[in-house]
Amino acid sequence: MLKLIDFEIKNVLENINLTFEEGKTYVIMGSNGVGKSTLLHGIMGRPDLEIGGSIEYNGSEINDLTTDERAKLGIFVGFQSPTSIPGLSNFQFIKQSKKLKAVDIKSSLDKFKELSVSLGLPTDWDKRNLNTDASGGEKKKNELIQMLMLNTKFAMLDEPDSGLDVDGIKSLITQLNNWKNNNNTLVVVTHYEKLIQGLNPDSVVLLKKDNVTVGDKSLADKIFSSGFEDV
Amino acid sequence: MSIDHLNKQNYKEGFITDTDSVSLPPGLNESIISQLSKIKNEPQWLKDFRLKSFNYWKEMAEPNWSELDYKQPDYQALSYYSAPKKLNKDEIPQEIFDTFEKLGVPLHERDALLGIEKDTKIIPTVAVDAVFDSVSVATTFKAELEKHGIIFCSISEAVQDYPELVKKYLGSVVPPKDNYFACLNSAVFTDGTFCYIPKGVRCPMELNTYFRINARNTGQFERTLIIADEDSYVSYLEGCTAPAYDENTLHAAVVELVTLDNAEIKYSTVQNWYPGDENGVGGVYNFVTKRAMCKGKNSKVSWTQVETGSAVTWKYPSCILKGDGSVGEFFSVAVTKGKQQADTGTKMIHLGKNTKSTIISKGISFGDSTNTYRGMVKVNPGAHNARNYTKCDSLMLQDSRALTIPYVTCQNDSAILEHEASAGKISEEQMYYLQSRGLSEDDALNCVVNGFCKDVFQKLPLEFAAEANSLLGVTLEGAVG
Repeated sequence: MLKLIDFEIKNVLENINLTFEEGKTYVIMGSNGVGKSTLLHGIMGRPDLEIGGSIEYNGSEINDLTTDERAKLGIFVGFQSPTSIPGLSNFQFIKQSKKLKAVDIKSSLDKFKELSVSLGLPTDWDKRNLNTDASGGEKKKNELIQMLMLNTKFAMLDEPDSGLDVDGIKSLITQLNNWKNNNNTLVVVTHYEKLIQGLNPDSVVLLKKDNVTVGDKSLADKIFSSGFEDV
Repeated sequence: MSIDHLNKQNYKEGFITDTDSVSLPPGLNESIISQLSKIKNEPQWLKDFRLKSFNYWKEMAEPNWSELDYKQPDYQALSYYSAPKKLNKDEIPQEIFDTFEKLGVPLHERDALLGIEKDTKIIPTVAVDAVFDSVSVATTFKAELEKHGIIFCSISEAVQDYPELVKKYLGSVVPPKDNYFACLNSAVFTDGTFCYIPKGVRCPMELNTYFRINARNTGQFERTLIIADEDSYVSYLEGCTAPAYDENTLHAAVVELVTLDNAEIKYSTVQNWYPGDENGVGGVYNFVTKRAMCKGKNSKVSWTQVETGSAVTWKYPSCILKGDGSVGEFFSVAVTKGKQQADTGTKMIHLGKNTKSTIISKGISFGDSTNTYRGMVKVNPGAHNARNYTKCDSLMLQDSRALTIPYVTCQNDSAILEHEASAGKISEEQMYYLQSRGLSEDDALNCVVNGFCKDVFQKLPLEFAAEANSLLGVTLEGAVG
């Protein structure tokens, strides 16, 4: 369970109070530039963001934890525009992140290949350099693979659908729904109706600069028919 | 992370070995040189070579065109010879043996085996020549190599046993008058490696020389000479470390490589001389002249270096592409931190037709250090169809300095020369991305830097690649401010 209490990010958001419970799926919507991505990165602990208020994860405040410490707790963010790291291959990255022992490498690689093929990625995807020889959609698929292969308990995905082709969207929905269980939490930032339908969220959060409106799926429908202002 | 932690040198090779040694008193003059020649029982021609070089040196002035700022050594205050007292010719004193063990250099032939069994014969992979201060203390696998006609021994031994070969090639690639430090070396060089690969032979194992400076206030002047005869191949690795003294130690080596028709030499160096402390006190001055003469048609020399140590580095491993179709390569990763300074690069001189050179240089600097790439690509009028590709990249952290100084001279219309360069800071974005997957700051930095150096690391022989990787990791520890 992750709680934001009087949470603020200087010059971006203030007065944000939200609770994300285990076993639930949340969709975050909001107008462009309001701070949806920034919210996710604030939770992840990006060093350049000035935070106020409190972030509580499973009962303890994590404001003082570094990004990697939060990652080790199972918090994950799928980037909107993943950065590239030349010279590091996709699978090597997984190996490093998981600190894989030699005995576990083969099974991990098999799982990696299985996932990448099911997402429509080429068979040599494990050898390709991290996000360097990849299209926008391929990078997004990579984010999903990483989420699924690390010990993710609290997943935040920033527009995971953007750039994905029609098959990609179908796979994304399937994989995410398969991943969901009673102990983890899924938070997705998106504008895309089909994705919201497919994920069947428990809550829809409309984010504004200094407040949030929380509702069920019907809130999303309202937003799609009348826009953000009227809600 | 505090700045202190960042620049703290964690040089684990900084220990000193307590051993009995024979040394010449400090000072540099004809008498010392003659004594040196006598101790080594050298023939007249070599003594003359030394004295002639010394006479040239006296007329020369120390170069001052580089970006380097260092305190000039007092040449009269150094001792030019220090060797461990051996019990007898074949016995290495235990403490010397232990030193190399501690440094991970295998002196027992048995230990050098990686155990690939083919029929009943175990194929060895690394032959080692261990040089401690001014002398070679052990050379492994000489007998095995001799079966192939390969000569791999200390240069002092080569002077005794193969004088004609040494006389023919010594000074042919780097003549004494070439530069101040090569000249000094020509007068007082002590030991180093001599290697000759006969026609048509592909050396069956990696050859490795490991240099260890131990005595204080001595200069280290090695001389290495490698000759690859027609159609031969050898891969040679060089490693070096020194104790952590407060005074600067001078290391002025000369390496000459010669390749005849269709021959190839791969020369790799992992340099980890003591870099001085975080305030720039102490550390080795590494002033080295390394040059290859690609004499034969289609001959090839590759220089690969990973430089992480020494207080001041000044070296330009170069290739003279004389033979038609000859190829020169230079792959380098140079890391500077604290107060280290490096002015390094290469010279590719295209003389013959259809020659090719490739230069990939990666400079990483942090702390208050200065990292300079200085490279020359020269295409002479007769060098038809010359090709060069140069890529120099710099990665900087904090307030360090990185400079790139390319010299390109092209006197032939048919040549194609490409030059790419990039300079940048380690991106915050990359660091954050890696950390968001659970990598610590140090691990994230390692990933970014390793990725940055990848094209160079891939050129190193396997054993060295692993060593270079871990050395880079140790060097980068705590580097993120």
